[in-house]
Amino acid sequence: MKKLLLLILVVTACAGDASDDASGVDDLPAVTAAGFEAHLTELEKPAVVNVWASWCLPCRSEAPLLDEAHHQFGDEIEFIGVDVQDSQPAAKQFLSEFGLDFTHFFDRDRAIPSFYGGLGTPITMFFAPHGELISIHNGVIDERTLALNIDELRETNP
Amino acid sequence: MEFTLLWQVLTAVLLTWIGLRIWSDGVPQGGFDRLIGAGVLGLLVGRLAAMALQGINPITNPADLIIIRGGVHTGAATIAFIAMLSWSTRATPQALDGISPAILLGLAGWHAGCLWRGACLGMPSDLPWAWTLEGSQITRHPVEIYAAAGLLAAAWLVSRLGRRLWLRAGTALAAAAAIRLLTEPLRPSITGGPTLWYWAGVVVGLVAAVTGWVLHRPKVTVPT
Repeated sequence: MKKLLLLILVVTACAGDASDDASGVDDLPAVTAAGFEAHLTELEKPAVVNVWASWCLPCRSEAPLLDEAHHQFGDEIEFIGVDVQDSQPAAKQFLSEFGLDFTHFFDRDRAIPSFYGGLGTPITMFFAPHGELISIHNGVIDERTLALNIDELRETNP
Repeated sequence: MEFTLLWQVLTAVLLTWIGLRIWSDGVPQGGFDRLIGAGVLGLLVGRLAAMALQGINPITNPADLIIIRGGVHTGAATIAFIAMLSWSTRATPQALDGISPAILLGLAGWHAGCLWRGACLGMPSDLPWAWTLEGSQITRHPVEIYAAAGLLAAAWLVSRLGRRLWLRAGTALAAAAAIRLLTEPLRPSITGGPTLWYWAGVVVGLVAAVTGWVLHRPKVTVPT
């Protein structure tokens, strides 16, 4: 029985993460706060901006939810990731692992969350079309909060 | 750091504690401790199940376990909670029935605890009692308050039921699941919500309640 449990433990420990290959992910484009603001101003759609980092444990937990939200609402809402205080290889590994296939920017100095007044990592920010900040959520975002804020964006911009 | 989720949990725990004192009849010794123990195990199992479904390996990422906001699987958590509570009260068969109203009151506290987090609102509504998010023009159903009110009523109703094995516990499970099922369409959702699990809860609860009602009828002795 003990051997069986040990075997299960070893198999479980080896499963998952090792198979993710980041070679198919391009380097994330670096951006300044001013450049990011300009990018949002050009958007015709509302946007959800998620600030993340590969070293951030809570970011791993919310990544599958953001992926699901992107697949469900990606036609109506622009999803953007901002990787902060990170390295390119680690960031690419993270994106490869979670398959977050929306636009991501690289912000080594945390200039973007500082510009908008976000605290810690992760942060999720909600913008009206053309970059008007509607709300900001510091910390891990749960499904209800994300869904409610997305619904606000959709109702405000039908 | 913000601790609004913690306040929500404490509200649920406090109301459970109050419920055990209001409806103390049939509650086993150490009932509160057993409930808290089962609750913690349910949370742990539910979080593990959510991580597994999200593709996060709990052994290589053990710290993710404490990120409760990352998601807790409702079905797995409920099964673990009921299993642990049943096991810990196995010496007193009617303990689950005795504890049931307090559990419903605790769940009502969990939903009412949305007030701490500003997370009570659901789908848009024009009803006179609809609320708005701060800074928004859209009025919305206070859906978590509906659920809390429903669970409060269910707690009272279950406490009035007869003392037959599984009757109160089954009715409580069915009522809790039905209230979630009825309020679910009023909640904005990304994954669609665990409605299949709520249906399962209604069915299992009703089967348990009806079984209790039929099998454990008091024996009527006819005087000879």
